[in-house]
Amino acid sequence: MILGRLTWGLLAVAVLSGLALAPFWSAARPLESLETLTGATPWGFWLRGVHALSAWGFLAGTVAHLVEVLWKKSDRRLSPAVWWRSVALLPVAVLALLGGFLMRGDAEAQAALAVWREVSASIPLAGPLLASLLLGVPGSDLAPVALHHAGTFTLLAWLLTAEHGGALVPDLRSTVLAALGSFAAAGLLPVSLGPALAPDGALLLGPWYLLGLQGALVVLPVFAGWLLPLLLVAAFGLVRHLEGRPRAALLAFVAAWGAGYLAFTIRLLFATR
Amino acid sequence: MSSRRDFLSGAWAAAGAGAAVAGVAAVGKALSDSPETARTVDLSPALLRKAEKEGGLVHEGLLVRGPASAPIVLDLTCTHLRCRVAPVEGGGFSCPCHGSRYDSEGRPVSGPAPRALSRPRLSPSGSGFTARLS
Repeated sequence: MILGRLTWGLLAVAVLSGLALAPFWSAARPLESLETLTGATPWGFWLRGVHALSAWGFLAGTVAHLVEVLWKKSDRRLSPAVWWRSVALLPVAVLALLGGFLMRGDAEAQAALAVWREVSASIPLAGPLLASLLLGVPGSDLAPVALHHAGTFTLLAWLLTAEHGGALVPDLRSTVLAALGSFAAAGLLPVSLGPALAPDGALLLGPWYLLGLQGALVVLPVFAGWLLPLLLVAAFGLVRHLEGRPRAALLAFVAAWGAGYLAFTIRLLFATR
Repeated sequence: MSSRRDFLSGAWAAAGAGAAVAGVAAVGKALSDSPETARTVDLSPALLRKAEKEGGLVHEGLLVRGPASAPIVLDLTCTHLRCRVAPVEGGGFSCPCHGSRYDSEGRPVSGPAPRALSRPRLSPSGSGFTARLS
């Protein structure tokens, strides 16, 4: 499937551009270091754009590929274990991208960090420990976030993609295509940083792929922050095991989830106007 | 119909997930070994005088206002999901994460915030105060 191969190519571009960005980023002064990179380093703005846009493309491609697989009912070609690990790629990709967002260190990232600490801490039993492990303790720098962004979640994403794709690295043609697309997009679409402090009274937006969750948390309790994604992942995973009406019912649930998520996103965007 | 192989595969996956959770819990516990202590913020006499003169100022996430001898301090941490709230024109505070609004006394007016902004305990410290946040 072309979409799947291209998505893997985008992951490769995100990883390579991330490696190129790493020396410029500081855990103690994240926003300042990125402002220096994008404002005073030749090609820094573009390189950051390549990294962000290829990563966004990877997430969008992962979702689109998942939908494509379910649409064509080709999920049955994978063994149950491989299917579940492929589905796990979705939350892993989101967590990898979220880490990158938090590493910006601007007002939006600081707000997102506070929210994710609370959401993680609301997970029963291991919640507070998980929050400390993934996000560090309140007041610490962003080193733990960076470690999981560049290490844990990126490695997991690579391993899961490699297993799904049946090879350790993406093919050259897809990678080159993904790179050219990312290079061009980074030249056309600016990926800017936000201010260090929130403007008075203004609503700060989280990453685009989590706006639905941000909107949901306005009206739903904090545990919805992990329970809603968990329900979606569980539904995607279980689809592989069902046939006929149960499968159709589960896919209808997934569609309803997506529609609700979109509605919360739109509601939040209207609230910011 | 599940085969014995599928069952074993699922059992291994469940065991792996359980081990992962246990590992996360163990490492997390090791990382957060020291018990969480309350944060304290020193409010120097100079800062208190400045806050009184300017009608209030924000210092280390706290809004300090009122007379220097008996200041009123509000913790600007939203009681919903702990984002930093910001003073808004016309009085009151707004949370940038989910839109909670508080009046000028820190009482929730609208949005998901469940309770008022907290008021740290103040204890005299030299000729100033120390604010203790829970």
